[in-house]
Amino acid sequence: MTVEADHGTVLVTQRPAGPDAPPAIITDLFGALTRHGLSLVDVTWEQQRLHESRRWSVLDMLAAVDLDRLTPLDRTLVWNAGRAELTTKPGADRLERQADAECRRWQDSNPTVSAIMQACGTWSRYWNEEEAHHETAFNRLAQLTGMAPIPDETFIEFRQVFPDDDMLRTLMLLAISEITAAVNYGQCQQVIDDPGLRRLFKQVAADEIQHRNYFVSFAKALVDSGEYQAKDAFAVAHLFLREDGEILGSSRDQVENRGTHVNWWDRLERKAGEDDFRPEAVEKKQQLVFGALKKITGIEVHSREELEDTWMDLVGG
Amino acid sequence: MESYIRQRFAEYVGLPEEQLFADDVTLATVIGRSAKMTNSIDLMETFARTSNALRKEHGVRVRLPTLPLDTPMPRVLTIFLEEFDRQKRAAA
Ligand SMILES: [Fe+2]
Ligand SMILES: [Fe+2]
Repeated sequence: MTVEADHGTVLVTQRPAGPDAPPAIITDLFGALTRHGLSLVDVTWEQQRLHESRRWSVLDMLAAVDLDRLTPLDRTLVWNAGRAELTTKPGADRLERQADAECRRWQDSNPTVSAIMQACGTWSRYWNEEEAHHETAFNRLAQLTGMAPIPDETFIEFRQVFPDDDMLRTLMLLAISEITAAVNYGQCQQVIDDPGLRRLFKQVAADEIQHRNYFVSFAKALVDSGEYQAKDAFAVAHLFLREDGEILGSSRDQVENRGTHVNWWDRLERKAGEDDFRPEAVEKKQQLVFGALKKITGIEVHSREELEDTWMDLVGG
Repeated sequence: MESYIRQRFAEYVGLPEEQLFADDVTLATVIGRSAKMTNSIDLMETFARTSNALRKEHGVRVRLPTLPLDTPMPRVLTIFLEEFDRQKRAAA
């Protein structure tokens, strides 16, 4: 049986997947579960293989950073990244819980959707573990370089759980969050001199792209099932990309006071040495969001206006 | 026009007009009270559907600016009407 692999080649999976095939994200998860008859054990095996193949050590990575070489800007980037990464654990915890609840909700009416939800909830453990690397690496580094400590109250505040939403919307939001993080870390690499620190940001950015690809694959599977509508993926993209939308993060004129949880992109702070650094790169983020939409829904848009028009058409009267 | 927008909006939100357009009702209150809404994405969608209905009836496409959640509903209605007039003039 063949399953389209994420790197554009075709992954041939015998059940269980042969050890020689390179591990990859199953991009057509709906097809894999239906036409190709993969079980949740098969899907989980692929998740495990990919996770193991991408493991890295925070201790080794930090050992390679030359602390004395770091500039005030480097240290600010690390400090902001560490705070932002604190919000990923509640995200992954929620996904695990919500995906399992959705899995049970769909069990009788649509076993394939139920399996997609379970695959997503199962993967959340790898996601959570990988985000733990990001959070601890950056926060430890911020601490070692004498940045303002994170008080326990802030730590606990940043751990607040997002409110639940429709699953497709949730996955699209998470995909955009990973895109935003990956692009921000990519921008950081360009201004960092120390090779060790650059490598850390590069590794984390690569992880975020991999997470985005997983969210896109789960979202696409939900749309392919016919139970979830493309309009909801478009709605979230529009929420981010519209004028004064979420993608501008803390540089927006007015950041909503959310009360219930912390969106890390609202809370990035400017510090000394950062005046000439703008991590936004909105154009790049936009292109990646359009790419995600195309993969999830098959519908292509090229501008914010086209995105809005398409969304409005999909919503209907 | 105003009553048309009020009707459509009330229909999509699932709340009676009198409750919806009172002075002390904000966008946040609407999300809280409507059984059909979870968050501001539902609100965006309601605006979009109202706008689509207007477009079908009157051929004018209203694009709403991003509004803070503490905006009172009567103000939202005014902005909607102003935008409608502006787009109509622009189209003419
Ligand atoms: Fe991360
Ligand atoms: Fe991530």
